[in-house]
Amino acid sequence: MAVGSTRQQKKRKPERYFDYSFLFIILFLLGFGLVMIYSSSSYDAFKDHDGDSAYYLKKQFVATLLGLVLMAVAAIIPYQIWKKFTVLAYIGSIMLLFLVRVPGLGYTANGATRWIRIFGITFQPAEVAKLGIIICLANLISRMGRGIQTVKGFLFIFLLPFPMFLAIWQVTENLSSAIIVYGIGFIMLFVASPQYKVFMGIAATGSVLAVGLVFIITKIASQSDNFRFDRVMAWLNPEAYPKDEGFQVLQSLYAIGSGGILGKGLGRSIQKLGFLPESQNDMIFSIICEELGLFGGISIILMFVLLLWRCMVIANNAPDLFGALLVVGVMGHIAIQVILNIAVVTNTMPNTGISLPFISYGGTSVLFLLIEMGIVMSVSLRIKLKDL
Amino acid sequence: MPIKNKTYIRKKIVITFFLFIAVFLVLIGRLAYLMIGRSEYYMEAAKELHERERSIKAARGRIVDATGAILADNRTVCTISVIHSQITNPQEVTRVLARELGMTEEEVRARVEKYTAIERIKSNVDKATGDRIRSYDLDGVKVDEDYKRYYPYDTLASKVLGFTGGDNQGIIGLEVIYEEYLKGKEGRILTVTDARGMEIEEAGENRIEPLNGNDVHVSLDINIQSYATQLALQAMETKEADSVSILVMNPKNGKILAMVNVPEFNLNQPYTLPEGSITPTTQEEKQNALNQMWRNSCINDTYEPGSTFKIITAAAGLEEKVVSLTDRFSCPGYIMVEDRKIRCHKVGGHGGEDFVQGTMNSCNPVFITVGMRLGVDRYYEYFKRFGLMNKTGVDLPGEAGTIMHKKENIKAVELATISFGQSFQITPVQLATTVSSIINGGTRVTPHFGVKVVNSEGETIKTLEYPMEENIVSEETSEKMRYMLEQVVENGSGINGYVEGYRVGGKTATSQTLPRGSGRYISSFLGFAPADDPQVLAIAIINNPQGVYYGGQIAAPIVRQLFENILPYLERMTYNT
Repeated sequence: MAVGSTRQQKKRKPERYFDYSFLFIILFLLGFGLVMIYSSSSYDAFKDHDGDSAYYLKKQFVATLLGLVLMAVAAIIPYQIWKKFTVLAYIGSIMLLFLVRVPGLGYTANGATRWIRIFGITFQPAEVAKLGIIICLANLISRMGRGIQTVKGFLFIFLLPFPMFLAIWQVTENLSSAIIVYGIGFIMLFVASPQYKVFMGIAATGSVLAVGLVFIITKIASQSDNFRFDRVMAWLNPEAYPKDEGFQVLQSLYAIGSGGILGKGLGRSIQKLGFLPESQNDMIFSIICEELGLFGGISIILMFVLLLWRCMVIANNAPDLFGALLVVGVMGHIAIQVILNIAVVTNTMPNTGISLPFISYGGTSVLFLLIEMGIVMSVSLRIKLKDL
Repeated sequence: MPIKNKTYIRKKIVITFFLFIAVFLVLIGRLAYLMIGRSEYYMEAAKELHERERSIKAARGRIVDATGAILADNRTVCTISVIHSQITNPQEVTRVLARELGMTEEEVRARVEKYTAIERIKSNVDKATGDRIRSYDLDGVKVDEDYKRYYPYDTLASKVLGFTGGDNQGIIGLEVIYEEYLKGKEGRILTVTDARGMEIEEAGENRIEPLNGNDVHVSLDINIQSYATQLALQAMETKEADSVSILVMNPKNGKILAMVNVPEFNLNQPYTLPEGSITPTTQEEKQNALNQMWRNSCINDTYEPGSTFKIITAAAGLEEKVVSLTDRFSCPGYIMVEDRKIRCHKVGGHGGEDFVQGTMNSCNPVFITVGMRLGVDRYYEYFKRFGLMNKTGVDLPGEAGTIMHKKENIKAVELATISFGQSFQITPVQLATTVSSIINGGTRVTPHFGVKVVNSEGETIKTLEYPMEENIVSEETSEKMRYMLEQVVENGSGINGYVEGYRVGGKTATSQTLPRGSGRYISSFLGFAPADDPQVLAIAIINNPQGVYYGGQIAAPIVRQLFENILPYLERMTYNT
């Protein structure tokens, strides 16, 4: 029924809704990201890639261009088409994750095997999985209708992301992406379910468990020489682990703290000169803060807030539940990743590798993010203006 | 079914959005805390990580003598290093450095090829070589200049001048006392570096220029000091003595013209023990041996002055009018003090004599009698009034204080021995200063070296002044003392101090060191000239001479020879007036 009404709209060529501010925010973040990638990576690039200081910038630029093309395609094709990929999105994503372990295909960088390399192109299947879970859950929930309100339906959606979570965590050794994938699913479930108390209960239980766990870990760590908890210990007191576990976050804090209110000026970061590892990647926000100060840091956060706000508006006006849930999934994905990234660089939570959407260096990430943006645009394009 | 109809979903989406906003607000708060509240802390920490500080040494001020000779100077030395990443022509660098520095090419190549931020090739290279290497203008070769303290006269006045340590700080002597003027202020070059230690050019460098130290001009006269050193060395050798000290000062103002303590040590190698000494086995032993070598006996060590101290007893007696020049005494060769028989050095006794003759004979019973006439209270009072209880305030570190009986412990026997200079200890500089004050008309002077402080532009920034205390004895007493002491040299025990054509006053002393009966003596002679208007006072002290040990026979000739040479010299010099 929903499909039918959209087609009718199209035939009559009504005034189409297009969210220009949404597009503008994405382009701004991409452009800003490229500038910051050049700023933060030129030193490393010059050192490691035969004096080519634009090495990372060029690679990211190509991925961004390709991503923009894919975004346009995704925006033009009706989003309903993704319904057909529900099973493939789920099964395919998990299979791709396992391909990492296939000799000849798996690609290792920075000590972790998270990439697949085919015909010289490397990509990270965990990024595919994020899109996969959004498509899969959106379709399943919208098909369920009132089924989500039953215990069985609720548990089904609640547990469905788990296999994917485990695969990303265990097979590709990427806990942070696993958490993001599960977080996306959780947010979609939260929106789809009329329940409140259950979620408050889950949130409360989760908080208590987290606090309890940290408490127990500090106890154990202080009584034994167990190195497994060093990451948590380094989070609580990075200055006690300045050489190993606390090194990166300490360097990040130096960068952020030394930025002050107005920053050192674009391009003037010193921490990027070999002091802060992954400065063009997971730690790019620290360099933004060092160069552009608190002012620049808050501005970027505000851009993401605006992006989320547009997502909210589009989701709330989506022609159908499937479209709304797709947008909610994307919104959750971006929100979770931005929050976790900033939380890590400011040492608000233990260190784990999470990139900043649109800005951090990483081809697969920007490619799939832009496909997600295309899907959101596709939803927005099918909003009937008279419904607004 | 449009989403609109599912109102709870719209509500949930809005709630989700605001939950995100709430979390973002928390993160913004955290960010603001880090970037405002903790900004200074992290900025400091980051600075420490990024900035490389190189100090620029300040040239230490020189020490200049009365004639303008430079006693302590700086030599510019160079440190040659290479910065691996900046070298463009390693063969050329290796070849030039090996040739200029007199090293083998292999040695240099190993360092040139070593991958380090900065590699030192050679330090303490003289400036000419450093300049030559600089003139090649080789990429990656750094020539850094540095100052090294240098003493042009090696051993001359070593224990007075002192030397400096690794941080160019004074260790002993004038180098310590005038540290604040000499030191100057180190400059700094702050450069920002990346994680590999490479300097970041666009960050610029923050340079704080060094402030050179000021020159200190001293009253020491290199000619008098050199000659006195020769005399002291000669005496030490011929008398096989442990050490010989000579102190020459102006009794009118306390300016010290020479202070010799042989054996001296080489200031350019202050940590090298004298040849022939036992090689110390422990670090502590070595330090003790060094401290011994660095000791300035004129001020760091006390001794029993013996007969030269009779000057003080005489001055106190005359001032208090318990004795006059014409008083008659009789010396049977001893004197009874309570139940103790104290001998005169002349066993047969001097017989009948007046006070002047008693002084010329250095007759113990005469001075014991004068001491007894004064009594403990008055004697002690004069001891204090003459400044003997305090340090002289000489501008050298580590001056030893007087070792004296407590007043309540001084009984007749102690008083008797003090009267002729025994049973207590003072430093040579204390004796010279006290006698100066007695013969100069009664003004207690402060012995000193420092005259003025001159900055590197040659402007005097400070004239050093020293306390003086007038009327510690009357001019009348002072005149009588000069007369008597001239008689000692003209016709008495100090005849060997007589200098043809000059009026010289003086007093001899021979004292046995403790414990008594060890056969170790200290012979000394204190002389001054001209006797009627003293311009210079000298004291020579021979520690543990072998053979003849009488001060009048071995110490007086030293002062005579010194005076024969320096008196005509001083008449020509205008600075001493």
